[in-house]
Amino acid sequence: MVIGVLLAPAVLAVFTYRKKRVALASLLVFSIGILIYGALGLWHGTATTAWDDVVQLTALRSWFLIILGLVAAMSLWYSFGYHDLRQSVIFWLPLFLLSMTAVLLAANLWVFMTGWESMTITSFFLVTTHHERADVLKSSYIYLVMSQGSAMLILAGFMVIGAHLHSYQFSEWTHYAAGLTLSTKTLVFALLGLGFGIKSGVVPFHVWLPRAHPAAPAPVSSLMSGVMIKLGIFGIIQFLLLDLGASAHFWPLLILAAGAMSSLLGVLYALMEHDLKRLLAYHSIENMGIILLGLGVMSLGIDWHHPLWVAIGLIAALFHSLNHAIFKSQLFLAAGAVEQHSGTLDIDHLGGLIRTTPAIALGFIGGAMAISALPPFNGFVSEWLTFRGLIDLIGPGTGLLSLYGLGLVMVLGLTGALAALCFVKASGIVFLGEARHAVPHQPLPGTMVWPVLTLGALTLVLGVIPQPLLHLLQPIEPTHLVSSGPMLLPIGTRVIAGLLVIIVVLLARLSRIGDVRTVPRWSCGRQPNFAMQYTSASFTKSIRTTFALIYRPHRTVERLGPAAPDFPESLVYRAGTVPVWERYFYRPLYRLIWRVSHLSTRIQNGPVRLYLAYLLGTVGIMLAILH
Amino acid sequence: MLWVAQVLGISLVLTLSPLMWGITQTTKARLQGRRGPSVWLMYWVMKKNWHKETTVPEFSSIIFRLAPSMTLAPLLVVLITIPIAGRVPALWPHNMLTVFFLLALERFWTGLAGLDSAGTFGGMGASRATTLGTGIEPALFAALGIFWEVSRHAAIEPLAPALRTNPASLFPWALASVSLALVLLAEWGRLPVDNPDTHLELTMIHEATLLEYDGRFLALSQWAMTLKITVLATLGWVILGPNLSSLWSNLALRLAEVTVTTVALGLIESRFTKLRFFQIPAYLAAAAGIGILAFYLLAGGLTV
Repeated sequence: MVIGVLLAPAVLAVFTYRKKRVALASLLVFSIGILIYGALGLWHGTATTAWDDVVQLTALRSWFLIILGLVAAMSLWYSFGYHDLRQSVIFWLPLFLLSMTAVLLAANLWVFMTGWESMTITSFFLVTTHHERADVLKSSYIYLVMSQGSAMLILAGFMVIGAHLHSYQFSEWTHYAAGLTLSTKTLVFALLGLGFGIKSGVVPFHVWLPRAHPAAPAPVSSLMSGVMIKLGIFGIIQFLLLDLGASAHFWPLLILAAGAMSSLLGVLYALMEHDLKRLLAYHSIENMGIILLGLGVMSLGIDWHHPLWVAIGLIAALFHSLNHAIFKSQLFLAAGAVEQHSGTLDIDHLGGLIRTTPAIALGFIGGAMAISALPPFNGFVSEWLTFRGLIDLIGPGTGLLSLYGLGLVMVLGLTGALAALCFVKASGIVFLGEARHAVPHQPLPGTMVWPVLTLGALTLVLGVIPQPLLHLLQPIEPTHLVSSGPMLLPIGTRVIAGLLVIIVVLLARLSRIGDVRTVPRWSCGRQPNFAMQYTSASFTKSIRTTFALIYRPHRTVERLGPAAPDFPESLVYRAGTVPVWERYFYRPLYRLIWRVSHLSTRIQNGPVRLYLAYLLGTVGIMLAILH
Repeated sequence: MLWVAQVLGISLVLTLSPLMWGITQTTKARLQGRRGPSVWLMYWVMKKNWHKETTVPEFSSIIFRLAPSMTLAPLLVVLITIPIAGRVPALWPHNMLTVFFLLALERFWTGLAGLDSAGTFGGMGASRATTLGTGIEPALFAALGIFWEVSRHAAIEPLAPALRTNPASLFPWALASVSLALVLLAEWGRLPVDNPDTHLELTMIHEATLLEYDGRFLALSQWAMTLKITVLATLGWVILGPNLSSLWSNLALRLAEVTVTTVALGLIESRFTKLRFFQIPAYLAAAAGIGILAFYLLAGGLTV
């Protein structure tokens, strides 16, 4: 009954895709319904219904439903003003949202896989919206192939569990999967970990993410980065950590390593981007890494029977999932507003947008501070928790694990500093300084500005008073340690935020920030112009040099003209970095697959007679074996 | 009593930090055979700047004008959370991790202000200062790992009691202190990482982000610059230094320790030259490496 009422607006939206406003409004109602449903599920616990075999609502699912409802509501609100929303987007969007809801509510394998596959397919069509642009089709194809690979691995993993437990009901798995043998668990861990890892964009399976996410329209990018990749995290928490329970010690360590690698490489690749949306997409990889670090701590806690690790790791991961959903959709929506406002997403062509669109600038800089984990925003709280969990791995009597923990803490520290650098770059070059190119500035409607600011307000609220929300996590967390809130979070977020605000306001008033005279900037006595400013490339030059081992930067200068070597008429300068994974992992893999499939032409080259012969032979062999 | 000591400590740091700057400068001058300016010079400079007219460069926005307050505020919050007299009132937030995040907040706004000045040097300084941060933070976390291993908590509290119960941790503790000192030199923007006395455009780091500031904003930034040294030195000594039983003798001890630090800073500054910018990552990696070594020794070798 409740489910029916919930789904009605979404179904309505499917049939009204020709009327943009009607469809968007009913979808908005749908997502607010999902948000309320999730919140109620978390608050009041879950009632049993007649539909329990098909859909179920647990506390963990409610948490992710809240994420879905929140991001969807904001993105849809924003869509009313977003100009670049084709009819195909309006058509696929309700199906996309419905399939994500199905994945989260699924009570058995059939519902889950149907939802999962339709989520992949609908998002594929959403990514191909701008199919006429260069590379969009290629990117979408890469996305589709990797998503299908992930779906097959997940299906295989589920089949293994199902075959051993003789059930495809998830509630049965929750009760009995912990009793599987270690070798089965290992197989399941490998299959599901790989499958969900691909979907979450964990390095080295990240190549689809920075291609697919930016290609979609901004509200869809925000949904994909904010929610869709979190469903991989949901799968890992639900099936691998909570259901399977303790497994080989190797797995937690691998999760931690994958998390560290994703967070560090994600941010390093983001630094080299000068397309605003691609930059944000790489930061999603980084944040997935941070979430995985929390899950790794949890997983170690399960294996070593250390309840504090389980609690901290899970809370850090869940809270960071919500936080990342909030500030990442805030940033993606702001990026879409920048695109609509100025017609480009190339950082190096922008500048000084704070003067033409101050509200979006405020929203973006706030989101940048949140994603850089700066107090008093929400990213600070969840990254603090992740650090707290990792640093707890350091301890007497754990030797090598201590050293591993220290390494992870240092990697996360480095990641945080690099993320801050990257967002100083992104917000500083896009919104501050002088405009780099004269671009037309379209005024933005309020429906695009307010969602961004609302999300920004949320990041602040969750950063200042996170405790009530952490308490809501209590039913999810298996050890029930959350009730000891102050022990988990002894940082006095309210005191810190209060002090910061009071001091800043006081100092700003004392230094009379309004009472200033504007003068030309210093340019060593020359005529100042916009090209004097640092660009995205020059800002990160020192990072490129420091991490040359990872980037492998290269540059060539080509001399053109009849007497080129000595008297070139013009110079062509090219510089870039080597996409290491693509070149050294995916290209050989692609070649290998190509070669193997090429081999099959020897036995499969067209004549029907040959195929009939194969058929006959197969039947013969079967009969021989059965006989 | 605890509150009085804490407030007294905070106000001492606030008022004396320009003097500490002066002591460093005087030490340097004496070692170079000069008489040098008065140790009170920084107070005069700040007062003069505060009363001058304040200008901002064209194309700068509210960010540029807010930045001096936004970079000073985190330092003040750090100062407030340090148990200067050795202990803090109950429920006082005093956490090392939070300090690192607050320092990152300061760096973030330094960078934004640099880019908002719309000139070359602001961007240059912003780029260099934030790059420096990427080396400083892992090294700080390495130090934190050691403190965690000794004391089993991340609160800002003296390590002395834990060290007394475990004398074997003294040598790792000394190594950790060296590592932290190296990192702090970078965080303070002192030689061999950055030279606060130079205004040569091609080499400056922190000065470049301040280039467009004058008047009241410059006065705030100069105060922040001096406070950063005093605050972080106090923090370091609270954690690593000896801890006395009486609050007041602790305060006096802190004063002496910070003064010694500033003199030592002058000594170091006259002994070393500035590193090339691209060698600084190696310097910071060395600091982090010493930290990891200390950690390894503390863990008693690798026993699983």
